[in-house]
Amino acid sequence: MQLKKIKGQMAVATCALLQAASPAANAAEAEWDVDTSLLYYSEADGRVQAAEPAIHAGRDLGDDERIDFRVVFDALTGATPNGGYATSAAQTFTTPSGDSTYVTAAGDSPLDDTFRDARVSLGADWTMSLDRMSKVVWGASLSGEIDYISMGLTAAYSQDFNNRNTTLTASLGFNNDIINPYDGVPIEFSPMRVANTGINRDGDSETKTITDFMIGVTQVVNRKTLIQLNLSLSLVDGYQNDPYKIMTVVDDPVTGLPASSFLTADDLSYVYEKRPDSRQKNILFFKAVHHLEEDVINFSYRYYSDDWGIKSHTLDLKYRYELANSYLQPHVRYYTQDAADFYRHNLVLGTDIDTAGNALIDYASHDYRLAELDTVTLGLKYGIPMGDDSEFSVRGEVISQSVNDSGVPAGQETPDLDALMLQVNYSFLW
Amino acid sequence: MKNLKTKSLKLRHEANYWQGSFSAMASPCEVLMEVKDRAMAARILEAVADEARRIEQKFSRYRDDNIIYKINNAKGQPVSVDDETARLIDFSDRLYQMSEGLFDITSGVLRKVWKFDGSDKVPEFLAVSAMLDKIGWTKVQWKDQTLTMPEGMEIDLGGVGKEYAVDRCVQIARSLTDESVLVNFGGDLATTGERRNKLCWSVGRLITGKDNAVALFKLYRGAIATSGDAHRYLLKDGVRYSHVLNPKTGWSVPDAPHTVSVAAPTCVEAGMMSTLAMLQGEKARAFLELQEVDFWVD
Repeated sequence: MQLKKIKGQMAVATCALLQAASPAANAAEAEWDVDTSLLYYSEADGRVQAAEPAIHAGRDLGDDERIDFRVVFDALTGATPNGGYATSAAQTFTTPSGDSTYVTAAGDSPLDDTFRDARVSLGADWTMSLDRMSKVVWGASLSGEIDYISMGLTAAYSQDFNNRNTTLTASLGFNNDIINPYDGVPIEFSPMRVANTGINRDGDSETKTITDFMIGVTQVVNRKTLIQLNLSLSLVDGYQNDPYKIMTVVDDPVTGLPASSFLTADDLSYVYEKRPDSRQKNILFFKAVHHLEEDVINFSYRYYSDDWGIKSHTLDLKYRYELANSYLQPHVRYYTQDAADFYRHNLVLGTDIDTAGNALIDYASHDYRLAELDTVTLGLKYGIPMGDDSEFSVRGEVISQSVNDSGVPAGQETPDLDALMLQVNYSFLW
Repeated sequence: MKNLKTKSLKLRHEANYWQGSFSAMASPCEVLMEVKDRAMAARILEAVADEARRIEQKFSRYRDDNIIYKINNAKGQPVSVDDETARLIDFSDRLYQMSEGLFDITSGVLRKVWKFDGSDKVPEFLAVSAMLDKIGWTKVQWKDQTLTMPEGMEIDLGGVGKEYAVDRCVQIARSLTDESVLVNFGGDLATTGERRNKLCWSVGRLITGKDNAVALFKLYRGAIATSGDAHRYLLKDGVRYSHVLNPKTGWSVPDAPHTVSVAAPTCVEAGMMSTLAMLQGEKARAFLELQEVDFWVD
């Protein structure tokens, strides 16, 4: 071989060798990634039991577009606290329908065991790229319960900066909810009536609107660490009472017994709660994901405050531990909140409400969810791949919640709540 | 991510990229990925390993279940081949023309008489001459994707297979991510594109004659391939016989460099340039200078 320049011929020959369609790349066609799960939630002492099957399916549409759908079904049964509290005497309540009664024994915390609900929730997101560095996600959701309908629209804009190491996101959400309590909307601070003597209702439904604003930044700190910070503002306007929650009216706060007489003989000494019709929520959320050699640590902190006086902190830690061909993920979560300003143990006749039934205070609720409380969650998830593109996982969590009823006489405290959650999940490409 | 362990793939995080590794084509294989998340890194690694192993299975001359076995055992009968095999044979045919016969995929049979084990067992002159009957691309009929080869001859696409695999894997990685990925199969390497922040990929290479000494290739884009193996030679009467064999004579090319590395846009080009340079023996350097490519000769 004479020395000669063959660089050009070589390039042409190589081009012919490599330029033909690549079979493997063609095989990687867009597929649906599907995530199915079944969640079972059970509160101790015969309280709420829930089963929740869910399916999520998403696929890339090419050109950096993507579509995602979600369907969730919930079935709930069991007993739920009605807003009263345990006293030294048996208590008789009227069911929400007004035509029957249930009795809570002395020393027991009153639970309304007529609670049943089913919910269907549908959601869809459409992600579209504006250019290589920015995208918009449009979302729509619809959920319906027997007594509640919610419709929502969201729009989120994301912009990448700094060689995609930084992402800024801004989103706007709007929800319109319709509340249709069983047998009408209870009149605030009106008494629960003796069964079959009529019910204090005004109208069939109420509405609520929620407007959410969020700005967030996601930063790749280095190749092992990613952090995210979000600030949210949520404005809720409209009906926010729990239509099934009542409050006990007492003569003497110390004995805690329901008032011996209140209005007429057909009026029980329990009145429907009343909450403000506006609420402003502020949320700060921080998350960090750190990759170790193989394992992953996931930490988040959330601070919440609203103009009802509730402040809460949530700390969440997950550690994904890679096993030979599967992974284990322990999870610990701690949640603590202060009580709402209008959270009250009971209403005192003459001080909070007069003998003619006129409220002397603006708002009051004894819903334990507005109380000062702590919740600890401990969980473990195990995931194992099943074949090429699918994974099976099972997750169990124990949840322990305690309400701090400071100043409440002994025997009248809100009971602690223990719950168990089990979820099985199967995800696959389809 | 889910199949890494079942496929013997390793994935670890380095300072600012993911490093995947596995074994294929009798070489340590490495994939460096400047992607953000582990799932994406795992996806690329899996696709690259699958492709490398596919190519190895399809074109290895050590198997008895592939197209190469079929061709080499056809006993003079015509064998028609698939598109991919045909492209590789077409390419080898062009290399044969370009190199005026120095690159010949039928020369593999010479390994039956040459064993480069560091000893002094240089084959007998007659033994080598006897092999020449079984070598020569011009003795093969290659037409319409059908190959007809006299009985006793063999073809071996190993001379281009690894470089081809690197370039194919780069194409696949490019289809999965816009970020930079480097594919390195036993020292033959290529990138999908430039890294962020004007960083380069640094890849170690062994320097001949200095045990464990490592120099670095700094690669921004394109590919680098290396030919030669400092440990495969014979030494007799003070003469070093390199493992680079001239298919026309059947003899070791005199004064071939220990190793030649070449940078080029693709790994196939880089690999073929370095292979042809080795075949030039003492003129390797002159040949490379004429090609106006970046190269390293040891």
